[in-house]
Amino acid sequence: MASEAECHPLGMFACELCALTAPYSYVGQKPPNTQSVVLLEESYVMKDPFTSDKDRFLILGSRCSICSRLVCMGPECSLFYSKRFCLPCVQKNISAFPQEIQQDVEKRKVPSKKPSSQLGSRT
Amino acid sequence: MPPPRTREGRDHRDYRRAPTGEEAWEKWDWNCPETRRLLEDSFFRDEDYIRQGSEDCQKFWAFFERLQRFQSAKTSRKEEKDAGCPKHGTSALADLPHTYDPRYRINLSIIGPDARGSRGPGRRLPPERVSEFRQALLHYLDFGQKQAFGRLAKLQRERAALPIAQYGNRILQTLKEHQVVVVAGDTGCGKSTQVPQYLLAAGFSHVACTQPRRIACISLAKRVGFESLSQYGSQVGYQIRFESTRSAATKIVFLTVGLLLRQIQREPSLPQYQVLIVDEVHERHLHNDFLLGILRRLLPRRPDLKVILMSATINISLFSSYFGSAPVVQVPGRLFPITVVYQPQEAEPTTSKSEKLDPRPFLRVLESIDAKYPPEERGDLLVFLSGMAEISAVLEAAQTYASHTQRWVVLPLHSALSVADQDKVFDVAPPGVRKCILSTNIAETSVTIDGIRFVVDSGKVKEMSYDPQAKLQRLQEFWISQASAEQRKGRAGRTGPGVCFRLYAESDYDAFAPYPVPEIRRVALDALVLQMKSMSVGDPRTFPFIEPPPPASLETAILYLRDQGALDSSEALTPIGSLLAQLPVDVVIGKMLILGSMFRLAEPVLTIAAALSVQSPFTRSAQSSPDCATARRPLESDQGDPFTLFNVFNAWVQVKSERSRDSRKWCRRRGIEEHRLYEMANLRRQFKELLEDHGLLAEARAAGPGDSHSRLQQRRERRALYQLKRQHEQGGGRGRKVLRLREEQDGCSSDEDRAGALRAGDSVDIQDVKFKLRHNLEQLQAAASAAQDLSREQMALLKLVLGRGLYPQLAIPDAFNSGRKDSDQIFHTRAKQGAVLHPTCVFAGSPEVLHAREQEVEGCDGNRGDKDRMSSRHQLLAFVSLLETNKPYLVNCVRVPALQAQRPEEEEDEEAAPVSPREVAALSRELLQLMASKVPYSLRRLTGLEAQNLYVGPQTVTAAPSLPGLFGSATLTPHPTKGGYAVTDFLTYNCLTSDADLYSDCLRTFWTCPRCGLHAPLTPVERISHENTCAPDPQDAPPGAEEATPEPLQKASALQRPYHCEACQKDFLFTPTEVLRHRKLHV
Repeated sequence: MASEAECHPLGMFACELCALTAPYSYVGQKPPNTQSVVLLEESYVMKDPFTSDKDRFLILGSRCSICSRLVCMGPECSLFYSKRFCLPCVQKNISAFPQEIQQDVEKRKVPSKKPSSQLGSRT
Repeated sequence: MPPPRTREGRDHRDYRRAPTGEEAWEKWDWNCPETRRLLEDSFFRDEDYIRQGSEDCQKFWAFFERLQRFQSAKTSRKEEKDAGCPKHGTSALADLPHTYDPRYRINLSIIGPDARGSRGPGRRLPPERVSEFRQALLHYLDFGQKQAFGRLAKLQRERAALPIAQYGNRILQTLKEHQVVVVAGDTGCGKSTQVPQYLLAAGFSHVACTQPRRIACISLAKRVGFESLSQYGSQVGYQIRFESTRSAATKIVFLTVGLLLRQIQREPSLPQYQVLIVDEVHERHLHNDFLLGILRRLLPRRPDLKVILMSATINISLFSSYFGSAPVVQVPGRLFPITVVYQPQEAEPTTSKSEKLDPRPFLRVLESIDAKYPPEERGDLLVFLSGMAEISAVLEAAQTYASHTQRWVVLPLHSALSVADQDKVFDVAPPGVRKCILSTNIAETSVTIDGIRFVVDSGKVKEMSYDPQAKLQRLQEFWISQASAEQRKGRAGRTGPGVCFRLYAESDYDAFAPYPVPEIRRVALDALVLQMKSMSVGDPRTFPFIEPPPPASLETAILYLRDQGALDSSEALTPIGSLLAQLPVDVVIGKMLILGSMFRLAEPVLTIAAALSVQSPFTRSAQSSPDCATARRPLESDQGDPFTLFNVFNAWVQVKSERSRDSRKWCRRRGIEEHRLYEMANLRRQFKELLEDHGLLAEARAAGPGDSHSRLQQRRERRALYQLKRQHEQGGGRGRKVLRLREEQDGCSSDEDRAGALRAGDSVDIQDVKFKLRHNLEQLQAAASAAQDLSREQMALLKLVLGRGLYPQLAIPDAFNSGRKDSDQIFHTRAKQGAVLHPTCVFAGSPEVLHAREQEVEGCDGNRGDKDRMSSRHQLLAFVSLLETNKPYLVNCVRVPALQAQRPEEEEDEEAAPVSPREVAALSRELLQLMASKVPYSLRRLTGLEAQNLYVGPQTVTAAPSLPGLFGSATLTPHPTKGGYAVTDFLTYNCLTSDADLYSDCLRTFWTCPRCGLHAPLTPVERISHENTCAPDPQDAPPGAEEATPEPLQKASALQRPYHCEACQKDFLFTPTEVLRHRKLHV
């Protein structure tokens, strides 16, 4: 099936904080093949690999609005609060964020260890 | 890159416009279908992200309901909080919204209907509700993003956690420096899925990865496609015999070894690949070994081609040294610790009387597991047994135990089970119950079952071995190798620490062979030699195999191919041979196809050849069911098994074309595995295409329905089928089910019905869909109905074609079969005495059709059974294979007229030159006359001693027959070994010794004639005959008297033979004594 013609990868997205890499096919705020959704930040986007639907996209990540590091969407690496912030920057400026975010970041510290512990149980 | 702009401004505005004035819309109901429809009409249009009526749409509403519940629970608590945050210096932080709202955490926005103009149905909805809906939709989309991203991250974490992940760079680096790299790693290290991806990531784009099994090609392509995030792209594909997902964009293709060999056959330097991964080389399959040999020769000619050999950590040095000490990257496996318990079976005298396996040692393991491990601790048991008989012996006992304890579900697993029954081993047992899977060595490598904690290893395996002398396949029980034992043990440690019970002593283990016998030493090499010849790799005897096959097997194969006309006397491929090499079937079946298409019997022969090339479609369980047997009976043919299969296939095609949904039920009722019929259909099509490619069959014109309307209709139907196929593929197939305790008590038929009902639940029969997409049902149906109208002549010709194809695989019924019980009928083949009919054979139930029925006794007393009975209706059995398990069995038999089957009738097929239709017609006619000819003859099996003394040759040269005109213009030359004269290559005249006295040679003693003084070694009979001739004439004959001797009388003596005297240049008919006497005259 010719679903691939439209999504030539432009390059590899690589999160600067974790090891996540994935090929992206679009950078910007208007993902291709869809008219009804716009992104509120300039994002690295790929076609959603988990569905055959051509116009489904998956946002991989974007730049931190403070330090401009390229970070992925993962909760261990960044958060979005009207803008993208990488987690180190959030922690540095934690007081600038509302309480809800502060609590949330606090909570994230615990599960952030989860992946490594998961690995342990799997091996 | 410019700093990202945000669009929160617009978003804020949207929200501010929407006061939460609940009171104005008290009657608002989100669940009202009309409301929902209005919202859907404006937000879920065709060009929107979510479409009305889609699965996504349903998911959204479910999400929406959950969100509503969550929010109503939260709002009450939320009211008090309104703490502003402190101002901040950093510009990026300066304009953060002061009041927290979850919507600020969402990085997308929807262009709703109002932003695109306020026309449309959305107008009628209150704006605050629309806004609420929009927020929910945003949350939904955000949730979807998080979910998909989570999957992506998880996938990458899992890949990174595989043992091989740390070796990826090393493998790539080594491959840069060397042409061949061996990657050795045990099960679970991830080599098969990861290495192709490392290559892909390193920029290689023409990668082939071979697998020994078709199933593995499909599942690996699927997995690697998923992991490399191109599940719905075409970067990763597979190619197997009947299916391919390969396209121009494919970068990695998984394919079977056999298919790669065929590609090499077409393009010997494999220009289409940059990297070749040969997986599972340690399994030492015939084709794999051959491929390695080919590659070793190819590599110097293709210095740019890279090869990765992947192996379990078995005998790695063998592979490395074969490729000039190629570097090895060894990856540790990922196994949990496994405790090994040796439980040798003490000799129990009670079992000695029967051959049946004693199930008690296996039950003891079940008991000890029950005693030692609490049922809450999950973990299933996998038992390795040697064969199906052993499985059923243990199954019976284990089921009794299971019904008693209620703690086990016992399931068999072997290749003869139906696909549905095989799939059951992947289902899960209810809590507190364990699965006990009784398996052949299929679970050693081919099938991987998760959740196994305990393994019982009987230490035995039944393996096919091959007897090149008798051309007989033998299924025998052997001790396994240490490598297999380790492999079996490893199955217990895939998901957690495990236990392996070995039902043999540690000293036994030490005595096991280190590795299994490679396939090349166990099987017939006919097909391999044929393929080698067609690939022009030179003399098979000197081919650099990694481990050479036994020379005897090679010689037998070469001789056989020469006998079959595939090789000529210089062992070069004949035209027929090169054709046979193209057909992926046994030589005998290939011959059938070629002959069939020559005699315009292509359609029926295609079906029969396909049917004989797949596993039997008859399920074992049905053998014991009388209902199945009755339902099957009308399909049985008393001509033989190939015709029964022919009938089954044709009847099935009819069912398919009339009411395709019923075909599954139709098969089940008759104890037929439908899957095999699909395979037959595929194979049949492949044969047809091959015959067409080689001009043996006129290509069927693509005769579509005439008018455009029905063409359109047809196209529409196909599109609908493709749609169904796609949907099924996305659905991911069959999910796991929970097994019922004591499932086995249901009895097999109801069990199967239930399975059928369950499967019927998913309304699409995907096999049926695929079948319809792949085949032209109308054509098949036409062929099937034509089969019913085969004339008697065509039928006779068809049998001749079959018999000729199978020649010399013929068996003669034993002379005394008519006096034996049905089950005791015995048959003799060229190399094997006393073979019996396979129990599934149609003649096993009605052997009387094989007896020479009519009593055309002419000059022969009738009290000798079939022995020496004169008849024109003797029959032989042509069989497809000879398989020895506890007895030698003839498999897939067809009865053929004995005399006619012996006559190799055509010369034409030797040359591939086109034969004119008239000649074929004439030949067919003559053959039919031959078939109808009624020559009374008798049929007898030669004993060993008889065979030794069959010919007068090689020492004696008999007289050339003085019968001018009998053999036309054929020139007669003495036959070098048989004696007599070769008329054609199948007829040698006068080479048989007379059959009267076989044992006389043993009785030969020196004797002096009292009358004439002759002193010679004579047998008693010769002595008497000498005395008879010597008595009346005591005087010496006068010189020259021999010239007056009249031509010997026809019936003078059974001992007389033609004798040509060199001295007097005359032909005589002399007894040995007379010869001696005559010679004396010349002295």
